[in-house]
Amino acid sequence: MGRYRERLLSVWASLGPRYMPFADVVTPDLPLHKLARLSLFQVSVGMTMVLLVGTLNRVMIVELEVPAAIVGVMIALPLLIAPFRTVIGYKSDTHRCELGWRRVPFIWKGTLLQFGGFAIMPFALLVLAGKGQADAVPAWVGQSSAALAFLLVGAGAHVVQTTGLALATDLTPSKSHPKVVGFMYVMLLVGMFASALIFGAVLADFTPGRLVQVIQGAALASLVLNSVAIWKQEARRPPRGAPRPEADPSFRESWDRFCQGEHAIRRLVIVGLGTMAFGMADVLLEPYGGQILNWSVADTTKLTALLAIGGLLGFVFASHVLKPGSDPYRLTQNGALIGLPAFALVIAAAPLDLSAPFLVGNFLIGFGAAVFGHATLTATMSQAPKEQAGLALGAWGAVQATAAGVALALSGAIRDIVGIFMAGTESVFGLAGPALGYISVYALEIALLLITVAATIPLVGRITKHHRTNDSGVAEDVTAARPSQS
Amino acid sequence: MAHETQTADLDDPDRIWPTGLTIRESEEIHKHIIDGSRVFFFIALIAHILAYLYTPWSF
Repeated sequence: MGRYRERLLSVWASLGPRYMPFADVVTPDLPLHKLARLSLFQVSVGMTMVLLVGTLNRVMIVELEVPAAIVGVMIALPLLIAPFRTVIGYKSDTHRCELGWRRVPFIWKGTLLQFGGFAIMPFALLVLAGKGQADAVPAWVGQSSAALAFLLVGAGAHVVQTTGLALATDLTPSKSHPKVVGFMYVMLLVGMFASALIFGAVLADFTPGRLVQVIQGAALASLVLNSVAIWKQEARRPPRGAPRPEADPSFRESWDRFCQGEHAIRRLVIVGLGTMAFGMADVLLEPYGGQILNWSVADTTKLTALLAIGGLLGFVFASHVLKPGSDPYRLTQNGALIGLPAFALVIAAAPLDLSAPFLVGNFLIGFGAAVFGHATLTATMSQAPKEQAGLALGAWGAVQATAAGVALALSGAIRDIVGIFMAGTESVFGLAGPALGYISVYALEIALLLITVAATIPLVGRITKHHRTNDSGVAEDVTAARPSQS
Repeated sequence: MAHETQTADLDDPDRIWPTGLTIRESEEIHKHIIDGSRVFFFIALIAHILAYLYTPWSF
């Protein structure tokens, strides 16, 4: 009888933890299936980016007839949160709770923000556009609710991505970081690609009801994807019984300590300059093909696909090349160097009126940007101090997202200003006014890449032995270790 | 199979089964659930107000 009772009790006892969201065991490295599951948060971030910057940008302007200036402000709002990614990372580094989680509470709260923003967004947009009976509502109601929706979604995506990447860093040893970064980037691309296709297909016959379905579907998808991603990933490390920890450093102290790291600021400057250099071309390549090279809309749309293929191959290449102990800054430098001929080819396409250099240039821009992004993120993950992974990745994300936003805004402005100034001139080097607007941006990108390459020179070959051998990973973090009974 | 390491002492007498949580751990999870419910409530409230402004319903 006692034996049955004991067995029943053990079955009963084993049922509970199975349905709890935390893991009670850690492994020195993350198995591929768990890594693939964790990377689902990147799919939700990719989906969010496509919905905000692509789909809703178009829907608001074309279908809902919202003034372009208001649309521009709404889409730029999430960028205001980007600099706070450093603080988010710091907060997750120093978070203490009974369960011993550091990252999951933040990812969960970020998911709620994302979900909440998406839940109110379609109604906010319809009220903003004055559709239905909302034309009698004061304009500020629609504007403020749409701004709230965009801020919530943007803040949620920033929190999820910052702490998600920090969790991936926590769970994997240094030697696996290139593989992890490659996976995370590819899943971001997969999320963007799949959601662009799905949103395009389901919004082909636009109705307000369909808009509500699509955006709220995205809300549910982000909740499900993020929940599946974090389920049983972070082990709990309860503080009970452990010696009382020292008081956490303030953000200022933590930041100062981070800045004392080898070339910490230089590394962030490289990320910012390189991201700006590659990012300024993003919105100009298609109109350049259409306006200057006289390509059709169908042809220029293929450029985006070519850029994406270049990016995908770049991530695969970088994951393959970055072996344990290899130097991510050499690859960072090479990524920036690939950009130099790429932009030169794009510039040369206009006076030569040739498509081939433009196509090759596009592919190389995608490839170089991917190699650069992969290498800088791998370097950030691998060199992040053990207790400052969140802060380091937050700083990387803050610089990267802000630089991308500034690049986007600057590129259009520079093209337009140069185009207006050169409109009266006959031709410079055989090029007319509008072409000079584009080419001045590409030339600026080459200059930024040259500065980036120069800035990486002191870093190449300086990966210290400590970083190369610091592969003990999560096993170091375990506080109450004992062999698994399973 | 990769070497696994236990991170929480499951033989701890303070743990209550079937969840395997201590009282303070369960209170913390409860707090997350309550906070989450509050967020959902306010989001639902705002969404309903905006939906009403777009297409008012009558009682």
